[in-house]
Amino acid sequence: MATVNTLIYLIIYPGLLFLFLYSTFVEWYDRKLYARFQNRMGPTHTGKFGLLQPIADFFKLMAKEDIVPERADRKMFSALPAFGLAIVFTAMLLIPVWNYSLDRPSVISFSGDIIVVLYLLSLPTFIFFLAGWSSTNLFSIVGGARVLTMLFGYEVPLFLAVLSPAVLANSWRLAEIAAFYRQHPALIPVNLLGFVIALICVQAKLERTPFDIPHAETEIVGGTFTEYSGKKLAIFRLMMDAEMVVAAGLLATVFLGGFPGGPLLGLINFIVKTLFVIFFLALIRATTSRIRVDQVVTFSWKYLAPLAVLQLLITILVKGLIS
Amino acid sequence: MKIGVFIPELLRHLFKKPATVDYPFEKLEVPRGFRGSPYLRPELCIVCRACERDCPAEAIEITAINEAEKRFRMIIHNDRCIHCAQCVDSCPTEAMLMDDRFEISDYSRLNLKMEWEYVRAVVKPKSEQKS
Amino acid sequence: MKFQIPIGPQHPALKEPIGLRITVEGEIIRDADLRLGYNHRGLEKLAEQKTWIQNIYLAERICGICSHSHTTCYVQGVEKLMELEPPKRGLYIRTLVAELERVHSHLLWLGVAGHEAGFDSFFMYTWRDREIVMDILETITGNRVHYGINTIGGVRRDLDEMQVKHILDSLEILRKRSEYYRNLGTTEPSFVARLAGVGYLSPEDAVALCAVGPTLRASGIARDVRKDDPYAVYEEVPFEVCTADTCDVLGRAVVRIKELFQSYNIIEYLLKNLPAGPIAVRAPRRAKPNEVVSRYEAPRGENIHYIKSNGTDKPERLKVRAPTLANYAATIKMLKNGFIADVPLIFAAIDPCICCAERAVSVVDARSGEEKIIPMNTLKQLSQKISYGKEKKRVAEWPL
Ligand code: SF4
Ligand code: SF4
Repeated sequence: MATVNTLIYLIIYPGLLFLFLYSTFVEWYDRKLYARFQNRMGPTHTGKFGLLQPIADFFKLMAKEDIVPERADRKMFSALPAFGLAIVFTAMLLIPVWNYSLDRPSVISFSGDIIVVLYLLSLPTFIFFLAGWSSTNLFSIVGGARVLTMLFGYEVPLFLAVLSPAVLANSWRLAEIAAFYRQHPALIPVNLLGFVIALICVQAKLERTPFDIPHAETEIVGGTFTEYSGKKLAIFRLMMDAEMVVAAGLLATVFLGGFPGGPLLGLINFIVKTLFVIFFLALIRATTSRIRVDQVVTFSWKYLAPLAVLQLLITILVKGLIS
Repeated sequence: MKIGVFIPELLRHLFKKPATVDYPFEKLEVPRGFRGSPYLRPELCIVCRACERDCPAEAIEITAINEAEKRFRMIIHNDRCIHCAQCVDSCPTEAMLMDDRFEISDYSRLNLKMEWEYVRAVVKPKSEQKS
Repeated sequence: MKFQIPIGPQHPALKEPIGLRITVEGEIIRDADLRLGYNHRGLEKLAEQKTWIQNIYLAERICGICSHSHTTCYVQGVEKLMELEPPKRGLYIRTLVAELERVHSHLLWLGVAGHEAGFDSFFMYTWRDREIVMDILETITGNRVHYGINTIGGVRRDLDEMQVKHILDSLEILRKRSEYYRNLGTTEPSFVARLAGVGYLSPEDAVALCAVGPTLRASGIARDVRKDDPYAVYEEVPFEVCTADTCDVLGRAVVRIKELFQSYNIIEYLLKNLPAGPIAVRAPRRAKPNEVVSRYEAPRGENIHYIKSNGTDKPERLKVRAPTLANYAATIKMLKNGFIADVPLIFAAIDPCICCAERAVSVVDARSGEEKIIPMNTLKQLSQKISYGKEKKRVAEWPL
């Protein structure tokens, strides 16, 4: 039974199949929301309400001609999308949706997995940088440089913001943090500031407006992805969507009390909570305009980082009060 | 400077009907007087060739088939036409009019050609009708 | 590390082809170079082979957005050549369309500025509301873009009561929406952060480099052909020349928004004081030998047409100086020492509309960076040589 469960966990839910389908759904949801915010329709025709549009886009890209630039490092250029996808899918396995037991640590849920998830979420950024750099295209190089510059801005506030709930829950294990907040729902609002900061940082990590600087189309064409086409681009896009799911899942686990209730109820919990997080991501995307890369760094260090430290202080104070 | 000034407007539109139209399935009406494609009413054409002369795109071609029988052929090359309605303005007898079609694209430019064969009409030009 | 980034001829930030080479050090632009000639259409030569009346429609197609500007400029010149006096009502309608066009062009620009700054919601909303003006233009002229309302000696279509009412009603909505955009555009922090202080052009430079239109007025210099050398009915219409003194892209946006409100006032005035009478006079087919320069304040700046006639029914020479051309020199100045991220904004801030001349293709060797100019024929041979005898490229396959 355990093996079957593990296999299901890896391949169906929340592994490959579910993540693939759910990522495309999330892309649809994001696109539709963004469109409705702008008084447009969004995807309408492929499938009911255009639900299949992201999948159609994926297969369309898969069928397109795949070009590798002459001067690019062929192996690296081709391997990067696969690496990125693998990293993000691995990160997903660590999000405690189902098939973990609270008292017994396992491969998918152990003390310190929050750090591993954060670390796995940092890696795609390096993948993007390497992708830009190995394309040898001017636009890609500028895009790659911007990816790294931005990383220095948002990474620290993100870590601080995500770790402060863990400090309050006194655990480095995602499942335990979620369980702690389920037991003490009154403590959830303590992390509100951290939640907002984490939302903004996740927005930056996912490179969406106002932080879509590395692939700002009106400035540097496709940015890091300028030279990518066909299958590789399709995989990169899938990876971005999956990253959004994982990031939303992480925030929902840490700040919103996780996804209790076994496979079915847990699934509903997961969907509702991640969609809730993604709603805010889409709202931020629609409200703002792209800022410059120097403004990202100043913004992060001037506002986000001090606020994240403040959040940590609040958590420590509250922790002192309740114990 | 305020943060999130745009948010109320965005949220307000979330459940409103979109401003866009589901185009090929739903169509907007064109207003009266829309300049679509020109067409000829052969019973009114006196073959004065004013339209041919004034057409900026040289889209109108009038040829005589039989001078003695006063039979003429007019071809409007709709692929060249820029829908300016100058021919309508130039025509002294209202033989040239514009319809309101706007979906006139086609795979072949030959399909856009419109042709009329007719006998020259005897009508008085507008300016003379009044007097 | 210094390197050159080509922006264009094909680039998402450019709506029309133009070559912009910028030399950057990291993210900072050290030098910029502008290359024209990707969009040559031989328009001026073509005008010499068409009659006066046909040329109206040709002039209209110089530009899509300011199509009315070019025809009015041309038609005014021709009327001077033919010594025609268009009737008052005709001139009022002509001015009305001109102001409606200014409204639609400025709303379009606001949207484009939003898009270039990655503020797509702003772009979608302004363009949605621009649709109101487009609808007005469609109902009164019969087309959305190429209005074709001008003719030599007046205008071609009259206004009726219904249309006047329709325009006045829509004007109210437009006023409200523009007020909203004024607030939004100048308070949304991320948007203002992108516009303020970007693309600085001092008043002295603006004059020295012959900038025109909103670009010039945003540097605090109140120059407007409508005031300085009134044409059509601008002498009778009360309005102000809008300026800003911040000399940056934000200033250019502010000038345009202010002009929107001025335009609404002008439109209202025109409609309320519309004189009765004929809309056009008959024009002769020929013009006496003479020459004339006609000026017009297009939404983008001063537009100049030079027309020379030789007594036939065709012009001997038509020379067009579009406002964008006058702004190019200033653009280079503005780009220097800015960020790469600001290129699209600065370039869009002059509201470029690219239509100029050059007839050679310059080929740059991707490996050595060496440039040569080659004529069309060689290029054709080259392309035939490359594709000759090669097997066809793989046809894309369905992956499933
Ligand atoms: S509408 Fe204009 S272009 Fe078309 S046929 Fe008439 S005059 Fe020629
Ligand atoms: S359509 Fe009108 S303008 Fe053209 S030839 Fe006939 S009568 Fe003359």
